[in-house]
Amino acid sequence: MSIKDRLSKELFQPDREETEGEIIFFRLFELFVMSYVIKLSWEWGAYMLRSSEVVLPLGMANYIDVTFMFDHSISLINAAIITAIVLVAFFRMGGRWMYFIGMLLFHMQYVGRFSQGEIPHSANLIGMSLFCFGLGFIFFNETVKKRRFILGTIIFFTGLGYTSAAFAKMIGTGIFWADGNHLWLWIAEKKTDILSRTGTYEYNFLQQLALSSRAAATAILAIGWLTELSGVLIWWRSLRPYVITGIIMMHIGITLSMNIRFDAFIYELILIGYPWATLIDRYISYIPGATYAQKLNQ
Amino acid sequence: MNFFKHRAFKILMGTLVVYGILVATHKGEFWPFSIYPMFSQAGNPWTRAIVRDVSDTPDSLIWQTTDIDHLYGAEVPLREMGVDQIDFSNFMSKTDRWDANRKNALIRMFSPENLGDARWMAYKVKGHLTETDSVVVDAIPFLLVTRDTVFTNPLLPQHSYTSRN
Repeated sequence: MSIKDRLSKELFQPDREETEGEIIFFRLFELFVMSYVIKLSWEWGAYMLRSSEVVLPLGMANYIDVTFMFDHSISLINAAIITAIVLVAFFRMGGRWMYFIGMLLFHMQYVGRFSQGEIPHSANLIGMSLFCFGLGFIFFNETVKKRRFILGTIIFFTGLGYTSAAFAKMIGTGIFWADGNHLWLWIAEKKTDILSRTGTYEYNFLQQLALSSRAAATAILAIGWLTELSGVLIWWRSLRPYVITGIIMMHIGITLSMNIRFDAFIYELILIGYPWATLIDRYISYIPGATYAQKLNQ
Repeated sequence: MNFFKHRAFKILMGTLVVYGILVATHKGEFWPFSIYPMFSQAGNPWTRAIVRDVSDTPDSLIWQTTDIDHLYGAEVPLREMGVDQIDFSNFMSKTDRWDANRKNALIRMFSPENLGDARWMAYKVKGHLTETDSVVVDAIPFLLVTRDTVFTNPLLPQHSYTSRN
């Protein structure tokens, strides 16, 4: 079997019958993604009203002057349009382009909000998921194929993202990236951020451990790097739950050592990393005459 | 299903090519596409920013550079004003020329209502590793902000406000 066939089989499972659990899980997953899209659209839209200058143009802001979004509540109007489009698409009332158009507007909302200089990655997985929904709805008519493509593509880009992050560190710094004194410098940086945000700061146990021993700090960074490097292994179904568990632990470690939270990432990893569909199948097999999936099979 | 498998793979690879082109031509970021380059350059000096209320601090002290644990004045938690501290840090560190527009944008960020009659010091906080591998963090008073005026630090060279440093 070629790599292409192997990868397609692992990601899209073309030869396997779709179960009721998968249909139910997909709609719940879609609900999760779209809820976050709506939440973030309004949060970013409200924040943009206090902006007046573009510090760092991102994405389309390199080509369009996004300062028009800072006045006349344009950012809130955009949030309202995104909300309407996403709801219409979720209830399958619009055309096949709805999610993709929603994605383009969501991109504008992001670049408007974060043209203030910050480049957070905490919402990347939500953005990437909406993008994959957009592609799936444009290119596939049959619901089972649509669902398989969307989930497979999200898993592909999630794994790729982690592994590319590991490579970026080797390209940016080299094999001494994991030297513990680098973690000391990042802890000092994040301490400054928290002081700026809340006015007070205290080191937690993991930070105290890292600051007390260069070897411990080095081990923390090295374990984190290896976990990132393993990201592409989630392309294989049998390895996915184990690798995802490692990645979730890494995110918890990042939160503890550097005070950077990735809530949306963690929730989505929990959803795509474990065999929830199988669990749902087991549950509904105990309920005679259950027809949930038929109602959701759109 | 065989047709689906090939079509899905083709679309995936096509998307990957677009992804690669966009991140390669936009410094690794074209949201939501990213190579996740954060923390890729370890050990580099950094600049962040912090605000303190120096209304009650003597004028002779407010412009003195200090370390992060011995700042003058009282804390001003940005969260309570709804300001993102990373935005504020980037606004401070990535601004090349502190002209009237930028200074007014800073007042707008803090909002005149929050400032009231107080005077707030916007510090640039710089961290670096020394040759002996210890971490040094200096807080440099950079801009003194009131509800209608922004003052620059007379102890810093003028080019600090006309070019990024």
